[in-house]
Amino acid sequence: MRILRSNRHKYCADGSFMKEFILDTEVTPEFLDFIKHYGSLEMLPGLGEGFYKFEKSDCFSIKGFLNESSFEVRFKKEVMDFTSDFLYSMLYCYQDGKPDFNTLNRRNEALMKRVRTRLHGNKS
Amino acid sequence: MLKKENPLIYLNNAATSWPKPPGVIQAVQESLELPFGGGRGTGKAQRDYLTEGRETVAQFFGEESPDTIVFSSNATDALNTLIHGFTASSPEKFHVITTTLEHNSVLRPLHHLEKKGRIELDHISFSNAKVNPEAIIEAVTDKTRLVVMNHGSNVLGSVQDIRAVGEYLHDKDIFFIVDGSQTAGHIPLDLSAIEFDAFVFTGHKALFGMPGIGGFCIRNPDPVLPVRMGGTGTDSGSLDQPGGLPERYEIGTHNYPGIASLIAGITFLQSIGMDALQRRADRQTELFIKELSSEPGITIYNPDPELPIIAFNIPGLDNDDVGYILARKDNIVVRTGLHCAPLLHKEIDDGAGCVRISPSWFTTDEECRIAADAIKEIAHHAYSQI
Repeated sequence: MRILRSNRHKYCADGSFMKEFILDTEVTPEFLDFIKHYGSLEMLPGLGEGFYKFEKSDCFSIKGFLNESSFEVRFKKEVMDFTSDFLYSMLYCYQDGKPDFNTLNRRNEALMKRVRTRLHGNKS
Repeated sequence: MLKKENPLIYLNNAATSWPKPPGVIQAVQESLELPFGGGRGTGKAQRDYLTEGRETVAQFFGEESPDTIVFSSNATDALNTLIHGFTASSPEKFHVITTTLEHNSVLRPLHHLEKKGRIELDHISFSNAKVNPEAIIEAVTDKTRLVVMNHGSNVLGSVQDIRAVGEYLHDKDIFFIVDGSQTAGHIPLDLSAIEFDAFVFTGHKALFGMPGIGGFCIRNPDPVLPVRMGGTGTDSGSLDQPGGLPERYEIGTHNYPGIASLIAGITFLQSIGMDALQRRADRQTELFIKELSSEPGITIYNPDPELPIIAFNIPGLDNDDVGYILARKDNIVVRTGLHCAPLLHKEIDDGAGCVRISPSWFTTDEECRIAADAIKEIAHHAYSQI
């Protein structure tokens, strides 16, 4: 999966930075099953084809509808320089319906270490 | 299946009205087709939009003299001109009263002046969406020189008793600025019956003009110094800013298309009549309140609004998520978040923000029913997850 382009950028009331991403393929239940290993996932399945919201604590949140080839991401501003890369990795590690947990686990570990250091100093 | 093919239902008119009446669009086009109105060179080919605009606004607001009408870019621009201009004329620190219902167009200029040490600031709270005039009167001290408050809340749709406040302040040496951004065009105004020093309006909301035009009516300009200087097309031999109205505050080339749109917007309102406008707004507001109240998963913050504004949340869902679902699934446009009124939201929802619906004359009853059903459906699903 990959991002084709982004649009509708804006700063939100809570200070986060919102971007809408256009994807090369639709978001499937299998993709959500994959990303929920890296954050929390909430779903309202009865709305349309299913509204979902993924939250990667301290990093970003994603909201969208199942089977749509776009979603909206809100980046926490303080760590956006790291986390936007991770978003791209998260999609890259899900190619043709095949999840690459090994690569993404490694990147997730590195990311969270940097995020913790940025947000909380060197405290673990 | 997403219902993207559904026609757009626009319920964000408290931000900017849409669609505009056909006459407004035509008026803007005509204004751009005519030669520029400044100077004498274009003679009879031009139209005197400035005079016509002042007369139209003054007549619509029940203000006796069109000479008191000053045009600005929008209400925020007008409020900055008034607040900073008033402060500039006061060499000593003074006390200002405002309310927690205000928009950032009032709060931010005042907060800036407070931080600079130019003013002491008191925010009067509200109850049931209303500021008690007595609370403002009680807050007045011997150092109070300015009161700034809105006439209508942009979140709770309540109309404040500016007449009572104005009557009290009239006999004091206290300048009274009223922000009428949300009431102008929604309720009949008779400014001649209200004591105030400056009344601010914006053109692009219920007056149906285009963005970029607003203004204020000012009765006593002496305490409000001009804070921006420049060309006025008058008294050009002098390097001093002219002191009379409107040149004291209107600098640079006017927004002729904006003024043309404002004239056409007000003419449209007059053709319908304020009674008919209010009847439809009241009916549609009641429809929303009744429908949303019937769903247990919806919290309404203003069950009895006087303006067509409904503020609500769906517990368990972020207000932005509700707006997102309505936009993407149902093609319904609402406004979410803080609505530039952070102090108000601290009081009603701990600063989390809410969803705001605001129909206009062009919203049909059927659109209101479709939107209410869509909101109830979201609430129903959210509620069943809790």
